[in-house]
Amino acid sequence: MNDTKLAWMILFLPLLSAAAIALFTQKFRRLSIGISIASVVATFLMSVACFFQFHGVNVADSTVEWISIDSLSFEIGVHIDSLSLLMLLVVTGIGSLIHIYSSVYMKEDRAVSRYFASLSLFMFSMLGIVLSTNFLQMFIFWELVGVSSYLLIGFWYEREAAADACKKAFITNRIGDFGFLLGIIIIWSITQTLSFTKLQDLLHTSPWLLGGMATLSGVCIFGGAMGKSAQFPLHVWLPDAMEGPTPVSALIHAATMVAAGVYMLCRVFFIFTPDALHFIAYIGAITALLAALIAVQQNDIKRILAYSTLSQLGYMVMAVGVAAPGAAMFHLVTHAFFKAMLFLGAGSVIHALHHEQDIWKMGGLKEKMPVTFWTFLAGTMALCGVPFFSGFYSKDAILAAAWDNGWLFGIGIIAAVLTTFYMFRLVFVAFYGEARSESSDHAHESPKAMTVPLMILLVPSVIGGYIGISQMLAHFFVPHGGETGHEGSVFDPLAPFGHAPMAALLGFLAVLVGVAAAYTLYYKADEDPIPFKMRMLARMMRNRFYFDEIYAVFINYTHEGLAKFADFVDRWVIGGAVHQAHGSTESAGRALRIVQTGSLQTYTFLFAAGLAVVLYLVLIH
Amino acid sequence: MNASLMILEIIVGIAALGLLLVDLWMPVSQKKFLGYAAAAVLGIVLIYSFYAPQFSGLFNGQTQLFAFGNMYVLDPLALYFKRFFLVAAIIVLFMAVEFADRIDTGISEFYALILFALLGMMYAASANDFVMVFVSLELITVTFYVLTSYQRAKQASLEAGIKYLILGALSSAVLVFGIALVFGVSGTTSFPRILAQNQTLIGSPIFLLGSLMVLCGIAFKIAAFPFQSWAPDVYQGSPGPVTAFLAVGSKAAGFVLLLRILFGSLPDVVTHWPHVLIIISGISILYGNLCAIPQRNLKRLLGYSSISNAGYILLGVAALSREGDVAVLYYLLGYLFTVLGAFAVINRITRGQENEDISLLAGLYQRSPLLALCLTLSMASLVGVPSVAGFMGKFLLVMAAIQKGAGDPAYYILVFITIAGVGISAYYYFGVVRAIYFSKNATDLSPIPISLPTRMIIYVCMAGMIYLGLFPQAFISLASNAVKVLHG
Repeated sequence: MNDTKLAWMILFLPLLSAAAIALFTQKFRRLSIGISIASVVATFLMSVACFFQFHGVNVADSTVEWISIDSLSFEIGVHIDSLSLLMLLVVTGIGSLIHIYSSVYMKEDRAVSRYFASLSLFMFSMLGIVLSTNFLQMFIFWELVGVSSYLLIGFWYEREAAADACKKAFITNRIGDFGFLLGIIIIWSITQTLSFTKLQDLLHTSPWLLGGMATLSGVCIFGGAMGKSAQFPLHVWLPDAMEGPTPVSALIHAATMVAAGVYMLCRVFFIFTPDALHFIAYIGAITALLAALIAVQQNDIKRILAYSTLSQLGYMVMAVGVAAPGAAMFHLVTHAFFKAMLFLGAGSVIHALHHEQDIWKMGGLKEKMPVTFWTFLAGTMALCGVPFFSGFYSKDAILAAAWDNGWLFGIGIIAAVLTTFYMFRLVFVAFYGEARSESSDHAHESPKAMTVPLMILLVPSVIGGYIGISQMLAHFFVPHGGETGHEGSVFDPLAPFGHAPMAALLGFLAVLVGVAAAYTLYYKADEDPIPFKMRMLARMMRNRFYFDEIYAVFINYTHEGLAKFADFVDRWVIGGAVHQAHGSTESAGRALRIVQTGSLQTYTFLFAAGLAVVLYLVLIH
Repeated sequence: MNASLMILEIIVGIAALGLLLVDLWMPVSQKKFLGYAAAAVLGIVLIYSFYAPQFSGLFNGQTQLFAFGNMYVLDPLALYFKRFFLVAAIIVLFMAVEFADRIDTGISEFYALILFALLGMMYAASANDFVMVFVSLELITVTFYVLTSYQRAKQASLEAGIKYLILGALSSAVLVFGIALVFGVSGTTSFPRILAQNQTLIGSPIFLLGSLMVLCGIAFKIAAFPFQSWAPDVYQGSPGPVTAFLAVGSKAAGFVLLLRILFGSLPDVVTHWPHVLIIISGISILYGNLCAIPQRNLKRLLGYSSISNAGYILLGVAALSREGDVAVLYYLLGYLFTVLGAFAVINRITRGQENEDISLLAGLYQRSPLLALCLTLSMASLVGVPSVAGFMGKFLLVMAAIQKGAGDPAYYILVFITIAGVGISAYYYFGVVRAIYFSKNATDLSPIPISLPTRMIIYVCMAGMIYLGLFPQAFISLASNAVKVLHG
């Protein structure tokens, strides 16, 4: 029963596939695609088997020692409980569909083998995070996920924008990881262990173990999630990451990798103090609102979805912050389904329109691409939180949990209105009305391999809210001190209205307001009326509140300034001072014309000065 | 009295002299291939080091064997470093053969000098006496004076040679002055005897001054702040294989001497001023990383990078613990593959070029995926991306420092500086990776042919980086066993 061989195989199969493609089948495009798809489908099937094997078993752990030096010892392993099982299913399930979808979408690309190798590497790293037993392992896979995401964002490296985007993603994430690493170090230096189960036991028996460092370590760890899950103020990289191929945006930058931050927060929920949670909740709320505002004025179909992802991640983080990790995970799962579907739908549109992404150049696609349209509409309704669609239930769980805090609840509702508004704006502009460009006039429905994954994803996107996911999570988190929205019976689509009627009603009202506003402004509209009515605000939204510009200036003044300063000191202050002091020796030095005049004297002087300083500091001081 | 212990050094020495002799009969066109012969000899020496009957005492559990009145010690630490230097020298010899067409005359002497430098390093690994320290260091440094200026037609190379000569002489002067002072107070140069008198000597300021000057002399070899000023210029000007050997071999020799001296003869002195190593380490990290940011010349960039790496490794030394020393040994091994891999690529792409600018990397991914991959891995290792050697090394170093942090908060500050330094370094290492894959306006997109030896070097280095990054345990155990002698 507790045999974890299967879990180990799930972890390493994608790595094997990545290695096989990278080393042997680079030249055989079809074989590479086949290997990659076979491996991910196999991991999905094994995950399902694993799910039934461990269903009902509380926790199973299997570790092997990886490094040990005397008193230091670190392990890697697989950790199986409801949380990791659920995440396994989501990652491999959506991963399988997106691999299949990619086999068509990327068929023409000349580097298709590289694409699938990177995708397999990503699967390996992501599964590594999901199955982590300790902070070190998680950090390592965390970085590997960053690397594979970097490879995929920059997949079309000939494009300048892709090159900039992957650099930005990498460096922004490193800032977050800096905090993550500090947090890990703080925890290790106090508790001498990094294992999640050991830490949980330790903190259970002596809650004050971390003392004054408790909040700080929590906030530092959250830094990692801020980077990976693109929370304000580190959110800037995610919209740019859309430069990668669309299936990648769907898998990595919507459904799975960006959710890793939320998953990590839920995994180590026990270490956060109330103060740390407070901080987390507000960061999440700010992200949710800010991203929704920006999305209102974007015109690129993928960017709208990217900002909506940001906004929904904000919701999830906020849910963790209000001590409802179950609700956060619930929303993570439903969001993964419908957002993957939305992105694949967007990919289908882009594919049909020959890489046109501006929604104002679309229009009238409803009749031409019926499957894409209906699934996209269902995804939109799920995202907005229309009752009977999965998003409604998970969002309601979050809103219900935030009920006690008026500010957070208010922000949640406003963001929900905005979400409905910009999503229906997208739907009305892109799918209704007249075709606004030649390419949209000639659009056709995409091939089967692209529409079938859409239809498969449609099922959980709709019914995902009442098939027992939240109950499974509630079970898991209750003993940990967390609480989820509802614990009612499975298959009860009306449960939210009975459980927290006000939250559910207000959430529903938000949807109605949003749809009505979008309908008034955009149904059969030919241009965007908002910029004419609210010039300033619209411009700010369109320019993403100038975050990129502010950061660019900031980086210029600090990072590069610092480097220039060091260079300056090295070259002129130290060099110049020595130059002055040694005017007389310089003439002698001219004999060595071959050497740059002065510099060797400088070095010699520096050597002697350094020696003098060291001697002074140590002996006289 | 027990010269057979030095069998490895003796073979290398004979090979070096033999090389000079064979050169007399060799036709000019064939001389280039003497490098392979030399590498083959070193390969045999490397294998022999595992089976030598003279060392059987070590294999059977004895911890240390001595020769020449305790001046020369053979223990697992010495063997670890001797093998380390042999591997480095073999790779560097292969590089040198590839480099032969860029050296006007005297290629056999070039190989012979590499062997002599190797000889110095191998003696350094076994030093148990200050005289031995001095002699072995001079053997290394003097050969490098010649090697750095070997491209006599290139002004930069000559400049590098002169700079290294004058600054190296200065550091040797400091070192030998320090040794004289230590000898003057203690009446001996032998490590164990000084160790025995440590308690009494500690009160003497002259003794402290002497020890400190010795350490400053060594700090020059590892290019730690404030004795780093030579590194960028010399790295930039020297022929590629020499820079590579300087970066790996000479630095590691400095570190093995540092470990021997600190733990073998002066432990009480160090506890007298614990913060010196911490401060030097921290400043080296910041200085190297900040100065590297604006660099465009690849070799110069690695010169600054080597300063910051000296800082990282000193972090492990500063921990003054067994874990710290294990981390030092492990890090150096990863550094060997990382730096040699990078230089193999740089040597190849600078062939026939006027400069060594980063812009040479434009389009490298299209021109040669193998070179691109190897350089990318090296950069990833230097940044410390998990699953490559550099990450594991940095991780062990940082963990060793944190372990000491409870007793002295200065270690926490140093850890913070280290992580910040690693963050900064991502910026310029990334610049290299970016140049490989994302350069626009790459003018020359013709494929780069790679000869078999270069290909082999690259495969070995990549395998080393990945193996050390993924499966650290085997070499950690080896390192752990090697440093046992330092910690009783």
